[in-house]
Amino acid sequence: MVNYGADEVSAIVVDIGTSSIRAGYAGDDTPKCVIPTSYGYTIDPNEPGDVPMESTEAMNGEQKVGASSSNAKLHIGQNGPSLYRSGMEVRNPMQGGLINDFTPIQPLLQHALVDNLRVDPSEHPVLVTETAWNTAANRERMAEIMFEEFKVPAFFISNSGVLTAFAAGKGTALVIDLGHTEASVTPVVDGFVLRKGLTHSSLPQFVHAHAKHLLANPAAHRQPIDLTPHQLISSKKPVEPGMQPIYTLRDDRIPGVTPTWREWYEDREVDEWIMSVAAVLDQGWNDQAAAARGPRQYEFPTGYNNMFGPERFFIGEQFFTHSPHMVQSNPNIPKTLPALIAQSLSACEPDLRTVLLANVVLCGGSSLFSGLADRLNNELSRSFAHVKIHAPGNPTERKFGGWLGGSILASLGTFQQLWVSKEEWQEHGKAIITQRCK
Amino acid sequence: MTSGASAADVRSILSLPAAGPSSGPSQRTIPALPGTKARRSKPEGISRELYALIGPSAPSLSAQIAKPKFKQKPNLGGGGKAVKEWREFKNSARGDSMRLSHWAKASSDPDAEYPFAKYNVKSQALNYSQDEYTRLLEADTAWTKEETDYLFNLVAEYDMRFYVIADRYEYPGGEPRTIEDIKDRYYSVARRLMRNRPWPSDESSKNQALQGLQYDKDREVTRKKYIASLENRTPEQIAEEEALYVEIKRLESNERRFARERDELLRTLAGVESGLASVAIATSADEEAFSSLFGDGKGNKKKRGLDLDSPVSAGPGMISLGAAPATPTRKVQSAKSAAQDALHCIHRLDSSSSQVTKAAHQPVYLRSFKMAAPKAGLAPKVHQALGELGINHTRMVMPTRENLQIHESLIEAASSLVETKKVVDKIEMELLVLQEQLKERQTGTDKKSDNMDEDDVGKTEDADGEADDADADADEDKGERATSVATSIRSNGNGRKRLKRSMSMSSVDTTATNATRTGRKRQKA
Repeated sequence: MVNYGADEVSAIVVDIGTSSIRAGYAGDDTPKCVIPTSYGYTIDPNEPGDVPMESTEAMNGEQKVGASSSNAKLHIGQNGPSLYRSGMEVRNPMQGGLINDFTPIQPLLQHALVDNLRVDPSEHPVLVTETAWNTAANRERMAEIMFEEFKVPAFFISNSGVLTAFAAGKGTALVIDLGHTEASVTPVVDGFVLRKGLTHSSLPQFVHAHAKHLLANPAAHRQPIDLTPHQLISSKKPVEPGMQPIYTLRDDRIPGVTPTWREWYEDREVDEWIMSVAAVLDQGWNDQAAAARGPRQYEFPTGYNNMFGPERFFIGEQFFTHSPHMVQSNPNIPKTLPALIAQSLSACEPDLRTVLLANVVLCGGSSLFSGLADRLNNELSRSFAHVKIHAPGNPTERKFGGWLGGSILASLGTFQQLWVSKEEWQEHGKAIITQRCK
Repeated sequence: MTSGASAADVRSILSLPAAGPSSGPSQRTIPALPGTKARRSKPEGISRELYALIGPSAPSLSAQIAKPKFKQKPNLGGGGKAVKEWREFKNSARGDSMRLSHWAKASSDPDAEYPFAKYNVKSQALNYSQDEYTRLLEADTAWTKEETDYLFNLVAEYDMRFYVIADRYEYPGGEPRTIEDIKDRYYSVARRLMRNRPWPSDESSKNQALQGLQYDKDREVTRKKYIASLENRTPEQIAEEEALYVEIKRLESNERRFARERDELLRTLAGVESGLASVAIATSADEEAFSSLFGDGKGNKKKRGLDLDSPVSAGPGMISLGAAPATPTRKVQSAKSAAQDALHCIHRLDSSSSQVTKAAHQPVYLRSFKMAAPKAGLAPKVHQALGELGINHTRMVMPTRENLQIHESLIEAASSLVETKKVVDKIEMELLVLQEQLKERQTGTDKKSDNMDEDDVGKTEDADGEADDADADADEDKGERATSVATSIRSNGNGRKRLKRSMSMSSVDTTATNATRTGRKRQKA
């Protein structure tokens, strides 16, 4: 037991990301519960009284929100926003990688811990992750929710960059985290983030928007693509590639569709397309290379299908280069990956650069973009000597790197002294969080 | 089953009393044997029914057959199931009274120390009092007391991880500090405190500890600048550097090849070791290329190499004379290389072993294998000479190192004697021939040249007097070789004299260089 330094105290690790919330026991290698962070809510004008519906759907994470909107009903979890509900709006509490709206956080965590993990939070210490640019107010609010509403016995908040480095088995690393909306480069030295070297931009969001723009607008060889989700389609007929889709809409549902739900679902369709078709060339943009890789077929929910050739590589290119006219037209364009890395390294001590470059850790769901790791390796080794990228081949490790590191950290015997206990919370108040969690 | 049941079974089932002798005439009585008791306790491994059938006369083996012995299960971890329980524990590394729970062996002591608490070690934070600050530390005006306090708190908080400290360093209202500023302040304060505080142990350990706190800010800044400049090289500059490096490597290997080739030529033609250090290096690993490149200076070495070669290359006459005078040249050589060795702190093994350059690795051997043997051509004569002196040189009772050295020098002396004798004989023969020729040509004699030649012969005969009788049969060769030798001598003029002169000159030369070298060395020292 002492040999590998682990001591299980049945801690729970919670990793809140923009696309999903991960929760599970410390010491596991995968989070037991992964639910979307986005949630749906419906406003019921005549006070929710349909008791039988409630009892069956309680499993699916339907909660009531107290304070802000007394009669709003939340739809959380796997069957939350993704199901069609008349008049359901979809929201995401995260913005720029940070928790922007704390109102739904409690129900979301309630759903993850109580409904999915089926634990009593008051019996388990909880470790929560945060981004490196999290504000002190945010983490204190998080601690407050944990201590006051979930009555946890102990709490700790740790940086996801550091945890990702731990998950890769490194104490010193340059963590490149490509999340759902935010791309960040975090230099970690001896388990501490170098805040001056931290850089982040909303690059993945930009890439996503770019892909959506590309699909929704007419191209030289095809018409704009209709991204109507399958929830709204009653029937469709197979068509030849590139032909106009033949489908009928569910007219009964159309009136109940809210713009936010439609947008959320269309984003999902774009994500699906990116995941299955888009890729990045391993050696910079090259028309011939893009053409040589061959097109790939993809079918949308409407039945429209087509072969996607060079344009599928054009999407991935946005991670690395922005075309000059796009930079001109858009002054707030997020920094590309090489720019982020260069900026981060230049802010670090020269002595550290070689060490950091020898320990580059790539993680985050967007880093699973096809060919991205190879391209990044090529880009880096072109400008720096002795670069070594650690990119786990296992998608779970890549996606949940931060959670995994938290799982490792919270199950260490030597970590158990670091928890902020309820007693300390009551004695010192919010200040203890910043003091303990460096 | 019923068919197998005996009367006793039936009785026991019906709970009848045991059959007595009076139970009935039909009943076969079982005699009360002394083994009844044993029968009642049936042996292990036999079913009750079977035992009832076969009775106590069961073969003793059956017990073993019925119960096969399996291989014993491995005993992993020493014994039994570990009973564990979910138990609260007290972590002494925590400052509060929170009690977390974990699985622990039920048998373990519930009040035992938490096994991970011992890892909670704090590095010793350096501190100073107000008095010490005013006395010692106020000199540095760039830092206020408050800021120094702030710095020392950070250092304690982050366990002297200066990269992190420099990152988190945000003193309100203070000027921005680089990592060098921070380190410089910390170490200078630490040094001053240590110097002025009472030290528990001796002075040397204090100096050592002070050494550990040494920090040269300017040097660090320069070093950092250097690293930055290394990073800022353009790809062209890097390529140029690479090309230069490759060029150096190439030149170096050329140099080594030349040296090796020359060495080989010398060895095959003159049978001489060049004694070039670079040749030895060439056979060893590539890393030493650097030392040969930067350590000594290439040109210098090359020059010295030529210098060494000169006495050898000056004597083509020796080659025409055969391998005979090889020994004296080698001696000159070794005298010279000894000087060089001393200069370069090279320690050579004894000459016999240094002759073998190719065998880098020598397996284990008996020293008696290394007994010197005379050259094949001279062997019989050397044998004979030693035999006349009553020495058996092929066998040695005690082949110790010293004995071998003595033996080797003996063999060498003997063979050089034989060789000298041969040369003397040849010269004498030539003289005879020349005299005969002179007599034939003219009866009038040229006295001058005759005298000189006779002088020479006399000298050599004096020197080799002892060997004369040993080499009695060497004269047999005279007749055969005389003519050929005579022609070679004629073409050379008086080669022997020239050889002598060059030898003496080279020896003078070496002593001179020796002297200057040692002189130089002394100056250095």
